[in-house]
Amino acid sequence: MKTKTEPAARPSSSPGESPSSGRSEVHICFRNVTVNYASVVALREINLEVYRREILGIIGPANSGKSTLLRCINRTLDFVPGAKVTGQLLIDGQDVLKVRNVYALRRRVGMVFPLPVGLPLSVYENVAYAPRRAGVRQRHELDAIVERCLRQAMLWDEVKDRLDILGTKLSGGQQQRLTLARALSLDPEILCLDEFSIAIDPVTTMRIEDILRELKQRMTIVLVTNLVQQARRLADRTAFFMAGRLIEVGDTENIFEHPQCELTRRYVEGDFG
Amino acid sequence: MAELRYCLAWKRPDGSFQPGETFASFAEAATALSAWQPQSHSGALSTQEPCCTDQVEIWCSCQDEPATVLSRPRYSFVVYGTVAGGGGDGSEAAPWWGLQEAITGLVELERSGQLALRHGQRLRLCHREVFATSAGQKRKARAENIAKTVFMAMALMLVAPVLAILVYLLVKGWPALSLSFFLENPRERMTAGGIWAPLVGTFFLVFISLLLAAPVGILAGVYLNEYARDNWLTRIINLAVVNLAGVPSIVHALFGVGVIMFFAELRRNYGIWVPFEDRCLLAASCTLAVMTLPVIITSTREALASVPMSFREACWNMGATRWQTIRTIVLPNSISGILTGVILQVSRAAGETAPILLTGAVFSVPVPDHGWRAFVPYGLHDRCMALSMHLYTISTQVVNVPEHVEYGTAVVLIGLVLAVNSASIALRVYLRSRKKW
Repeated sequence: MKTKTEPAARPSSSPGESPSSGRSEVHICFRNVTVNYASVVALREINLEVYRREILGIIGPANSGKSTLLRCINRTLDFVPGAKVTGQLLIDGQDVLKVRNVYALRRRVGMVFPLPVGLPLSVYENVAYAPRRAGVRQRHELDAIVERCLRQAMLWDEVKDRLDILGTKLSGGQQQRLTLARALSLDPEILCLDEFSIAIDPVTTMRIEDILRELKQRMTIVLVTNLVQQARRLADRTAFFMAGRLIEVGDTENIFEHPQCELTRRYVEGDFG
Repeated sequence: MAELRYCLAWKRPDGSFQPGETFASFAEAATALSAWQPQSHSGALSTQEPCCTDQVEIWCSCQDEPATVLSRPRYSFVVYGTVAGGGGDGSEAAPWWGLQEAITGLVELERSGQLALRHGQRLRLCHREVFATSAGQKRKARAENIAKTVFMAMALMLVAPVLAILVYLLVKGWPALSLSFFLENPRERMTAGGIWAPLVGTFFLVFISLLLAAPVGILAGVYLNEYARDNWLTRIINLAVVNLAGVPSIVHALFGVGVIMFFAELRRNYGIWVPFEDRCLLAASCTLAVMTLPVIITSTREALASVPMSFREACWNMGATRWQTIRTIVLPNSISGILTGVILQVSRAAGETAPILLTGAVFSVPVPDHGWRAFVPYGLHDRCMALSMHLYTISTQVVNVPEHVEYGTAVVLIGLVLAVNSASIALRVYLRSRKKW
């Protein structure tokens, strides 16, 4: 199986894109997406656009469908028994829900879930796992990928001398950064972060946030967070979800300063309950 | 009514109470408690002052009458030896903190009328260390100990029959055990010689049956745990596995005979190629394989299920296929459990008699004593001897077999089973010590 892993080899833009327009071009588009878990409706008729090379913050209380939204994008919802998705989810105009080769799709979408998972392999092999599966064989290529990803995840300095220890033996915060490094290992064009900072100390979180601002130049980032201030710091635009509905989406500044919706105002001001 | 007197009584090392100073009012008696130097361990008391004790009582009596002491104190209070808190009420659950609080508390209770001693009644104040166990906790601890002992005794009773059987067999079979017992074939209508032929037969049977059952069982277990969704097909397979595991071994044997007859008929009437058409080593091995299959499947599934789901999800998220995930993460981390399950089936297959009784094992097969044929005495389509079958034969079907030969054979059989089981336990312990998460 031969797959493109070099950043340069990836199709950088679709024909209709004008380079100057930058963020205004639609990358991911939800059209009437509804998700059911057996009888429970997790997402209700979501219409949402994510622009290329922006950070979209997604905030909302528990059970509002934030994680489900991410699972739709890389089709890992397929693994949940009884989950049913209707509507259209377009990435670069291609309907994700009809994609045959989900593995290629998942290689384009990096995903970080809230709980740290170190695979029972060495730190090196943890990061090299996906590139190897995707067909990278050359040792020096793998070395370069591993170093780049570990640096981006702010883990390189801590593990560079012991790349051969088990990923499961790292501390919780380190494992979470390892998870982030793995997600970056295929240089995805979309990066989905679900509560990535939950196990990481505040200082490292700040440094990773700086890295995310840098990565934004190359990839679209969807950031689900319970830390409202994190969305405010990082996101270009912010969407507020509640009970499976998209309540409001707009420029982060507007959402926080002049929300259109009363629910949004109360949530971002911490005025709930 | 005569005036009441209050007498301080200190507990003696022998448990009785020694009356001391007498006071005219309760408050005075309570205040005099400040002389108390509480000590928890009454063993060290003998040389000390009477006030160095862990319990003190205030006895109440009329001035005229002699003090008669009732069996139980009317009131009982508890005080902690140290002041590390406050707000206790003197009860068992919330003792007073320190003597001063106790005295204030007692005086306060008496003045408010909540505490009134009459003639012959007494009040007891117990000292307790902050972390000492109370009587209730001691009761609980005792019940806990009794329960543990009973359960452990029951568990130990399991060991007794195993030890008894082993010792009995070893003592009885000891005279027979020697290297030549293993290496010689049975002679003189099985009344002399060793057990080489049945030993090799058992080895062949177990090896071939595992060769058949292990790949099928492991791959089926991987399918059921990693690929199968919860649908009717999976449920049917699960039901089949459970029921196959519950079939008695003699039924397996009869089924084996049925298959032999069916194959023979196919061969005779239609000339179709069949793996076997008569009782033979291969037929017996197949029967054993069918019998061990469900357990191998189940143990494989359990070993696979012990690999956390989050590992698989992490791999799938990176675009790995299911097979890549299984190959790189799931199997390497569950192989120890899978192997343990397979090895345990070795001992089970070696011990079974019924399934091979009707399908391939026979009383006696002439086996050469020398040359390479001694090591490969049976072909796939030959009938064979087996250790369990041999034991059955010499102990019930043949006369004049020396007792120590019978017991020696039993020792070898049970030793084989124990050795294999120990190997599997050792393997599991070793691999668990290298567990990666």
